Amino acid sequence: MEKVSIIGSGNVGVSAAFYIAERGFANIMLIDIMDGKAQGSALDLAEASPLRGYDIKIEGSSNIEDIKDSKIVVITAGKVRKPNTLRLELLEENVKIVDPIIEDIKKYAPDSIIIVLSEPVTALTYYAWKKSGFDRKKVLGVSGKLDVTRVCEFVAQALKVTPVEVSALVLGGHHKFMVIPPEFIRVCGIPITELLPKEEVDKIIDKAREAGTVILSLLKKQTSMYSPGAAIAETVGAIFNDTNAILCVPVCLDGEYGFKDTCLGVPVQLGSNGIEKVIELELSLDIKDKLKASAQVIDKTIESLGI
Amino acid sequence: MKVSIIGSGNVGIATALYLAEKRVSNIVLIDVVKGWAEGKAMDIVQASPIRKYDVFINGYSDISMIKDSDVVVVTAGKPRLPGMSREDLLRDNVKIMKNVSESIAKYAPNAVLITVTNPLDVLAYVALKVTGFALKRVIGMAGILDSSRFRYFIADELGVSPRNVTALVLGGHGDLMVPLPRYSTVHGIPVSELLPKAKIDKLIERTRKAGGEIVSYLKTGSAYWSPGSSAAEMVECVVRNRNRIVPCSAYLRGEYGIDGLFSGVPIKIGENGVEEIIELSLTTEEKQALHLSADKVREVIEKIEAENLI
Repeated sequence: MEKVSIIGSGNVGVSAAFYIAERGFANIMLIDIMDGKAQGSALDLAEASPLRGYDIKIEGSSNIEDIKDSKIVVITAGKVRKPNTLRLELLEENVKIVDPIIEDIKKYAPDSIIIVLSEPVTALTYYAWKKSGFDRKKVLGVSGKLDVTRVCEFVAQALKVTPVEVSALVLGGHHKFMVIPPEFIRVCGIPITELLPKEEVDKIIDKAREAGTVILSLLKKQTSMYSPGAAIAETVGAIFNDTNAILCVPVCLDGEYGFKDTCLGVPVQLGSNGIEKVIELELSLDIKDKLKASAQVIDKTIESLGI
Repeated sequence: MKVSIIGSGNVGIATALYLAEKRVSNIVLIDVVKGWAEGKAMDIVQASPIRKYDVFINGYSDISMIKDSDVVVVTAGKPRLPGMSREDLLRDNVKIMKNVSESIAKYAPNAVLITVTNPLDVLAYVALKVTGFALKRVIGMAGILDSSRFRYFIADELGVSPRNVTALVLGGHGDLMVPLPRYSTVHGIPVSELLPKAKIDKLIERTRKAGGEIVSYLKTGSAYWSPGSSAAEMVECVVRNRNRIVPCSAYLRGEYGIDGLFSGVPIKIGENGVEEIIELSLTTEEKQALHLSADKVREVIEKIEAENLI
C-alpha cells in the first residue's frame, strides 16, 4: 500500500484524511506542528475503521521526517481566512509557513508529488514548484476541483437533478478570478444553456464564486472543510489509482493556453506520474480574455513573491 | 422498498447482484422454471456475509409473490436460438410480456415498471397497453445501456477514466439508434473537441453493434453485466428518487415530433418513474435519424396490433 502524507491536521487536512480512508486509496500520515494534534486525529479515524470497514494505516506525527517514502504530500498547513479578509492577504504569512515545509519535502520525500491547498492556492503552487525544483508535472493545487464541485451542486439544486451527472470546468484563479465557461457546464452531456436561461446560469456562476465566503461568514470561526477535503481526496485518488481522470487544477504552465512560467487552473489528466497531460481547449474569445485577466492578477501576486 | 425482477436469467440475476451490492432494496426474483429463482436467490444471499449486503433476496416461481412491489423489472423472454427468426422471437416475447403485464397489473398495481426484454421499444408498448399504467410509470431500459457502451468506447479511445465520460444515445434500441456526439462529453468537454470525426464515427458504429459484438464472441450467450447494471441504475433512481437525467425508452406524446410510441430520449427518472421528458434542440439531421428509428418501431407495433397479439 502506498502512502500519502498530509501536512497540517486542521479541519481540511483531517477531512481529506477521512475521505481518503473511506475510499481506501492509501495509507495516511497526518502531520501537524502542534504535538499531539495529528496523533489524536489519526487515532480517532483509525478507531472508526472497524465500523466503516477500511483497513488502511492511519498515523499521526509532529515530526515532518515521517513523510518519508510518501508518493503524495498534501500541504494544507497555513493560516486560514477570517470573515471579511481576502485570500491574497494570507500570502505573506503562508509563504513563511510553506517555505520550510517544501525544504523538508525535498529532503524526506524527494520523489513525491506535491498537492497544495494552503491559500492563496495558485501563488503557493507556483512557489512550491519553484522552490522544490520538482518537475512541473509533480506539483499541483486543488482549488479548481473544489470550485467545480460547487458549480455542479448549485446546478443540481436549480434543476432538481442529482449532482453526480453534472460536470463543469473552472479555469484561471480562485474566487473573483475564476473563469467558468457556461458552454462547459453540462448535465448528462446536455449544455446547461439548453436547460436554464442565461440569467440563471450567470447567477449560479456568481454564487459559486462566493461559495467559500458564504460558508465562512456563516461559521465565522471556521472555513469550509468537507468540500475541500473531498476535492483533495478525489485528486489523490486519481493519482494512486492511475485513473487518468480529467480534473481542473492549478498547474504551472509552459506555453499551454499561451501562458509561460506561471500557474493557472486548467483541465489536466491525472495519473500515477502526477499531471499526465494538460488539456488545451478551444475557448471562446470572451473566455480567453477573462483567462488572460485572471492570469495577470496571478502574475502580479507571483511577482510579489520575489522568486 | 421491494423490487421484483421477473425473469431470472443472466440479465435478471446481474440486475439483482448490482442492486444487492448497493443495498438498494429487498429483492424478489421470479422465474417460470420451478426452483430456478429459488436457487439463484440462495446463491446470492450466501455471498452476503463476505460482500456485506444485508438486503433480503428471495426467489419464487409463483408470480403473485411480486405483491406490492415498488418497482418491477421485466427481463423475461426467449433468447434467440439458432434457426429462429426475429419474427418468431417477437411473437413469443409479446405473448410473455402480455402475460407478465397482466400479473403486474393485478399484484403490483402501484409499481413503476421497467422493461428490459427485446424488442425493447415494442415490448414496453405492450406492457403499457396491457397494464393500463400511467404513462410515466412504464420505462424501457435501452438508452442507458447504449450510452454506457458509447461512454466506455470513448474513455477507452482517449485513455481517460470512464467516470469522466457522459454520452447520449437516443432512439430505439437497435441498429438505428442515434448516438449524439454533440452531447457526449469528457468532463463536460464535447468529444468532438478531443477526437477527429472519423474516429468518433467508428466509435458510433461500434456502439450500434456492441451487443452483437459480444454475442459473436460468446456464441451461445449475450451480454448481461452491462444490461444488468443499466437496469439496476434505473431501479436505484426510482427507489432513491435520484432524479438522474438518463436516456431511456419513454412513451412519447408529441415530444420530438413522435406520438404514441416508446423511443429513447433523455428523461429525468425518479420515484414516479418518468418525472420529465427533456426535449433537446436537435439538428434536422439528428431529428431525421430519430424519426427513422421510431418508424421502425411503429411498423412492428402495427403488425402485432393487426394480428391481435396484444
